[in-house]
Amino acid sequence: MMRSIRGRLLLGLLLLVTVISLLAGAITYRGMLRETSNLFDYQLRQMALSMRDQASFMSGFTLPAHPGNSDFVIQIWDMFGSRTYFSRPGLPFLDKAILGYSDLTIQDQRWRVYAIATDSAVIQVGQPWSVREKLAGDAALRVLVPLLLLLPLMAAAAAWIVTRALRPLSVVTREIEHRDIHSLTPLAAPDLPAEVSPLVEELNRLLERLSDAFASQKAFVADAAHELRSPLTALSLHLQLLERARDEGERELATSRLRAAIERATHLVSQLLTLARNEPGAAPDAAIATELGQIAHQAAQEVQPLAQQRRIAIEFELPAEVSVKADEDALRILVRNLLDNAVRYSPEGSAVRVRTLHSPEGRGVLEVADRGPGIPAADRSRAFARFYRAPDAAPGGTGLGLAIVKAIAQRHGAEVTLADAPPHGLRVQVSFPPP
Amino acid sequence: MRVLLVEDDRMIAEAVRTALEQDGHVTDWMGDGAAALAALDQARFDIVLLDLGLPRKDGLSVLKQLRERGDATVVIIITARDDVKSRIAGLDAGADDYLVKPFDLDELAARMRAAVRRAAGRGDPVIAHGEIRLNPITREVHRAGTPVALSAKEFAVLEALLLRPGAVLSRSQLEDRLYGFGDAAESNAVEVYVHALRRKLGADAIRTQRGAGYFVPR
Repeated sequence: MMRSIRGRLLLGLLLLVTVISLLAGAITYRGMLRETSNLFDYQLRQMALSMRDQASFMSGFTLPAHPGNSDFVIQIWDMFGSRTYFSRPGLPFLDKAILGYSDLTIQDQRWRVYAIATDSAVIQVGQPWSVREKLAGDAALRVLVPLLLLLPLMAAAAAWIVTRALRPLSVVTREIEHRDIHSLTPLAAPDLPAEVSPLVEELNRLLERLSDAFASQKAFVADAAHELRSPLTALSLHLQLLERARDEGERELATSRLRAAIERATHLVSQLLTLARNEPGAAPDAAIATELGQIAHQAAQEVQPLAQQRRIAIEFELPAEVSVKADEDALRILVRNLLDNAVRYSPEGSAVRVRTLHSPEGRGVLEVADRGPGIPAADRSRAFARFYRAPDAAPGGTGLGLAIVKAIAQRHGAEVTLADAPPHGLRVQVSFPPP
Repeated sequence: MRVLLVEDDRMIAEAVRTALEQDGHVTDWMGDGAAALAALDQARFDIVLLDLGLPRKDGLSVLKQLRERGDATVVIIITARDDVKSRIAGLDAGADDYLVKPFDLDELAARMRAAVRRAAGRGDPVIAHGEIRLNPITREVHRAGTPVALSAKEFAVLEALLLRPGAVLSRSQLEDRLYGFGDAAESNAVEVYVHALRRKLGADAIRTQRGAGYFVPR
């Protein structure tokens, strides 16, 4: 199997030219044969007619002076069926005559014969087919030979054109070969042929997407490392305080603070993991029909300890079952993060409201509203960035909650919108595509 | 010393504050840049521990503003930003030192002492004045080679006066070093501490400038 474009092109071209040349030769041959046949047939007939006319005028034949030099053979029979003249006595020839044109084979040689009857005799004029075939063959060769002679020239020219046309491809190949493996800059593609440039363009688009993905991964790792410093600092400081503790009271305080610092670091790490698992490109989990209200109840149970500690009631308003297509675990994490935020930011003793509904367009909607400070409209787009924390951020948050909500929502094709919850507070709506 | 701790992370602030108070420093904690500037307006601090990533006003702006209004208070930046560029920017903006999180509490204490010492133009960490020697590291005071036991507040008053011999410190300036914003100062507390110090170190150790305040003679 030939893989090279150049090889395939050359082979195809050579085969094509050869076939065309042979066809041209064959067509020429057939055409010439037909034309010479018509011509010679006419000549045969003319010769026979002229001899008949001479015979009737002069009652005798004037025979060619040197019939041996001619391709033609003449034979004359008298009315009794005996041969009265034969121009080539040595040649075996016909012993009968068919009037008009006929093709005869005599001793492996094909002949074209014309016979005509006069009052007293039958005149037969014949010519070997080979005469005509040779003429036609010569004509065909005159067409074929120059074409075949041109063949190597055409092959060379085709090779040159193909090589030139493919040169940009080898330039690109070299550039890719010599490129640093970490380089994700687009390939330079100077005047590429139209057949190759889409490939390079697609390659460049891929490189761009890769480069974006790498940049966001890098930023994520840098952000994460930076954000891990604070809980780690708190951990090491509180550990040092525990070591320094001079009495039981100090030791107890230091231990409880150290425990809180460990909880905080653990929470941050698990939030980071959750976010990483739900980043775009993460392996999709099976999405099944899931009832939003049920998930909301499960998520509420998970934030119950914090809610109780802050004396916050989680109220449900679930008028009808709202079913969406979702990965149950991811959806529960989404709702838990929303509730966690709501409970953290709401003033102590207030209520957080969870509502599910069908939008007029048939979308399943989950809504969480709190009585906290809300997020100013100007900051709402930034609020989804990882590690974004409101200026008055409640303690214990990681700045990852809304980023996780957004990542999970995106995986489900859902939209997250932030709005005011009058008189004050934040209302988050997650709107899922119709199942 | 009176310390202003500017840190938006509550856990870290709690730890640093506890450690500083264990070392006998009076510590005020502010959680954002704007509050820090307001606090610096209201009281004199010996040293400011400044985080860079702060809500409302970032640490670098706080520092620049502080220096612009001619305030030379010692400032140590404590931050998670460990790149060389940030360090240079911090020091060039007027910081006296730069400490990267996570850090060690003992190192922080040492750096605070060093920064204050440098600001006072001294090389020797031990402050010696006449018969009195005050060691800020061990928090020990000797008079003519004999150890003298001082309370944390007494130590703070003596340290403040010894840092600039001859300079008169008013009662309110001394109170600034003894009490944070939340602390309730007793009206004659400074007199009580000065009296105790005179009793332990000799009547001439601290002099009174009538109507102005106290000083240690050169």
